[in-house]
Amino acid sequence: MKNIILGMAMSSLLFAACNNTTKTTDNGSTADTTKSTDTSLTKNSSVATTTVLSDYLKLKNALTEDDAANAAEASKNFVASINGIDKSALPAQQAKVLAEISEDIKEHAEHISSNAGNIIHQREHFEILSEELYDLLKAGNPTGTKLYYTNCPMYNKGKGGNWISETKEIRNPYLGKSMPDCGSVKEELN
Amino acid sequence: MVTAVVLLQFFQHSRNENGDQNHAEFKKALNVPENIGQILNASCFDCHSNSTRYPWYTMLQPVGWWMRSHINEGKSELNFDEFDSYPLRRKLSKLKSIAERIEDGSMPLQSYTLIHRSAKLSDKEQKIMTNWISKTLDSLKKNK
Repeated sequence: MKNIILGMAMSSLLFAACNNTTKTTDNGSTADTTKSTDTSLTKNSSVATTTVLSDYLKLKNALTEDDAANAAEASKNFVASINGIDKSALPAQQAKVLAEISEDIKEHAEHISSNAGNIIHQREHFEILSEELYDLLKAGNPTGTKLYYTNCPMYNKGKGGNWISETKEIRNPYLGKSMPDCGSVKEELN
Repeated sequence: MVTAVVLLQFFQHSRNENGDQNHAEFKKALNVPENIGQILNASCFDCHSNSTRYPWYTMLQPVGWWMRSHINEGKSELNFDEFDSYPLRRKLSKLKSIAERIEDGSMPLQSYTLIHRSAKLSDKEQKIMTNWISKTLDSLKKNK
């Protein structure tokens, strides 16, 4: 409980720092609380998505460095990892989400890998890919540690974009080196 | 040179005319209003469906081949005649990408509208399209 309160306080701080509205903060915190009840059911049963997550993080980190070539490489591995998920090891709810997203998320990853020369296009696909992966990981976090669902309000002419991070510290994959620390944590995945 | 061009004309390409010219399945599935249907007819379906209306000059080679490459590429990215069979996630992300492409002006392709002038979207048409897409996205998400 202490952690949750601390988390809420932290995200409120981060939000305040980025001039976000109170409304968003509220959403973030409500989601935080529901989250912790969710994960108690699925904890330790989601290791099947470990490599998917680690490939995603490599992709994300390549984009934070504006490194389109590495992003392309990582997303190629990401496709293989999605294919490699042991579906029988997934909790029922997560298996259902996987069935829904699997085709689409692979298509986005393929676009990223075939667009090593166009990082803008890569980021556009990364945005949808991140949304879908979030849905998958919300149904079960494969790591023992927290993941941070982070939002950059400035991306795409103010439409914003989200991503999943292994660190609370902001490293923005949409704006890259031009604005590395724009963003705020919306939700923590336990 | 002239002979070569004349000879070229004998190599006609296979035509993309295997689908419903009205794209009724798609229009019904997404409840497409008349004005949106007209924009899609004029600017989208020729490359993104199983049925192309070929202007006369595409009978001339190499224009016809060039058109075919547009169609093949267009269909592999998005095929409105198959749209209804896409899983929901794919529908959502395709619609989202369609709106992005229209908004940033990269669709319809400039290299395409250069020749097919009538496929070009006016600012107003762009707006009408993106508004319709965002409404459609919302209603699809509700059924998620």
